[in-house]
Amino acid sequence: MKRELNINHLTRVEGHGAVNIVIENEMLKEIKLRFTEGPRFFEFITRERLYSEIPKIVSRICGICYVSHRLASSLAVEDAFGVKVTPEIELLRKLLVVGEYLESHALHLYFLALPDYMGYPSAIAMAKDYPNIVRRGFFIKEVGNRIMKLIGGKTVHGENILPGGFKSVPSVDDLKKVQEDLHRVLPEIKATISLFDSLDYPEFNDPHELQMCVEADDPLSFGDKVTLSDGTVFTKQEYELFVEEKVSDYSTAKCSTIKEKPFLIGPLARVNHYADRLLEGTKKQLFLLKNSFPSSNSLHANLARAIEILEFALRGIEITEVLINASPFKGEVPVAPKKGTGFGVKEAPRGTLYHRYSFDDTGRCVSANIITPTAQLQAVIERDLKSLVERSKEASDEELKKRAEMLIRAYDP
Amino acid sequence: MVKIGIMGLTGCSGCQCEILNCEEAIYRLIEKVEISYFPLAQDNNSFGEFEILFVEGSVTTEEDERKVKEGRERAKFLVAVGSCACYGGVQSQRNDEASLEEMLLAVYGRKELPVKVQKPRAVSEVVKVDYELPGCPLDKRQFVYAVASILNGVKPFFPKIPVCHECKLSETECLTLKGIPCQGPVTFAGCGAPCTASGVGCQGCRGNCDFPNFEEMVEILKKNGLSTGDAVKFLKVFRGYQSKEIKLSEGVVENEKGA
Ligand code: SF4
Ligand code: SF4
Ligand code: SF4
Repeated sequence: MKRELNINHLTRVEGHGAVNIVIENEMLKEIKLRFTEGPRFFEFITRERLYSEIPKIVSRICGICYVSHRLASSLAVEDAFGVKVTPEIELLRKLLVVGEYLESHALHLYFLALPDYMGYPSAIAMAKDYPNIVRRGFFIKEVGNRIMKLIGGKTVHGENILPGGFKSVPSVDDLKKVQEDLHRVLPEIKATISLFDSLDYPEFNDPHELQMCVEADDPLSFGDKVTLSDGTVFTKQEYELFVEEKVSDYSTAKCSTIKEKPFLIGPLARVNHYADRLLEGTKKQLFLLKNSFPSSNSLHANLARAIEILEFALRGIEITEVLINASPFKGEVPVAPKKGTGFGVKEAPRGTLYHRYSFDDTGRCVSANIITPTAQLQAVIERDLKSLVERSKEASDEELKKRAEMLIRAYDP
Repeated sequence: MVKIGIMGLTGCSGCQCEILNCEEAIYRLIEKVEISYFPLAQDNNSFGEFEILFVEGSVTTEEDERKVKEGRERAKFLVAVGSCACYGGVQSQRNDEASLEEMLLAVYGRKELPVKVQKPRAVSEVVKVDYELPGCPLDKRQFVYAVASILNGVKPFFPKIPVCHECKLSETECLTLKGIPCQGPVTFAGCGAPCTASGVGCQGCRGNCDFPNFEEMVEILKKNGLSTGDAVKFLKVFRGYQSKEIKLSEGVVENEKGA
């Protein structure tokens, strides 16, 4: 008996995707996660452009995690030209990332994921019965937006984020406002953690053989190394030697593996890895939860997101304190082009992100390579879908589709 | 209830995110209209008749083309949102420099993909567009104003004056005078000039204002340190098919030599 399941248009995910599942005689025959997005040729359109144009162009890869793309490309440019930024610029960048995570994770949690668990088609529909819950999502998102607008210049695609730092920096008053906002959002974030801890996550424990994230002192830092859960640590220069990208014959996203295996990235991989290094304030919340970390249930990526925004908001408050004391400070260091190749690795909200550029001696881009979380997630989502289907053969088509969608949304590829 | 739709073609979803950032407006909107199609934010989507259909992204695949044509048939008003939909977006900036095959080979190492790919085009190059709200992303105040106007039977109107006008209004010191490359003089205002306010020259994300003088613009950019070639590339980033208007006379191009 042959059973075919097709989800032709995944909804409530950024981008366009489809899933095809074929089961024959109770055996899983085929699983394909297809990204059907049109290509945008970033590795080609950056060529011949001056280094100063690069962050602006690649920012447009994603409107939700543009800060990460802008920073990863700026880090790569600085790496190529041997530029070192000041500790204040580094802190301001981290504060910007706090904004990005608040907005991206809140969008994900409340607008993309939560409707599934609450039984609604969208957050907008949910707002009729749960106006305060939806407002909470909007509020956390708004605080993130304000930070991005303040530091970046616009909420989406802020042009003030450049190689070498920022053309202008926030005033002491602005930083105090950010601090107040972060204090005000803390109770909402804690409520978010409780809400996501209380949801009914289907039992789904198929340990991830390999997990990956940036290696640094804390999850907000931009390290130069990447760590794998099997103990391997590799440098950003070695990234392409570990993460192997293949062009897929059914998806427009490339598909990555490490040592021929799918690997987990993103909030769950990060919280699993950084659990011991979280701030005391975050750890205290973690003790109160009924779920625990490290976890191998991919759906717990949602709870991990809620924990990350608490961690980041707390770190954001510390950062504003340091910056207020350091004010006024310079936002920019000079950048002078030279021939060479630079690498930028960063944790984007959805997972590790990699940018590499080579420049000629006038600072014009000769070649580029960008490895996005989407490409790296394709294989691990397919692996998860496989194990989901194998466990839920009794489920009706309708039910199976629903579970598959929930799983994919937990990754938000 | 009248129905509205929000469709995403090939883009970054930044414009749809900006729409989702209009919290109060969304609450007011859903009292009056039904958002019957918005795949980024909901799963109960129906592709029926629309009073207004907003389209984000450029037409880059056969599927994009099919979707937007079908959308056009069902929509009373079709509004292109963002510079991808209005001009072709950043992805179309090298359309005149390379063939589709060349781009595919460079990025994917092959000439064909599992979807049928075309060179990125603006929505108006494929179907009739009633209104355009450019920007990368679009400006959310303009979105709210456009929706309110159309639903009330008023034509939304945005004068195509240059961004410089908004610097004057917000009393931002002119960057061009400080030697910083800025595209404000040839760019369609409406954003409130947030970039120049942070000290970064306008990057031209909203496309052409009326009667842009590119020749003069290139001369000014050259004074501020760019070569002719880099100035033209800088101008092209967001302008998509509008870049065709960047025609320079012999003299300007001549200067490039040795630059
Ligand atoms: S116009 Fe800009 S923000 Fe909007 S979809 Fe295109 S790239 Fe994204
Ligand atoms: S900064 Fe740019 S946009 Fe503003 S007035 Fe000067 S040239 Fe015009
Ligand atoms: S100032 Fe220029 S680049 Fe900035 S938002 Fe306005 S049009 Fe776009």
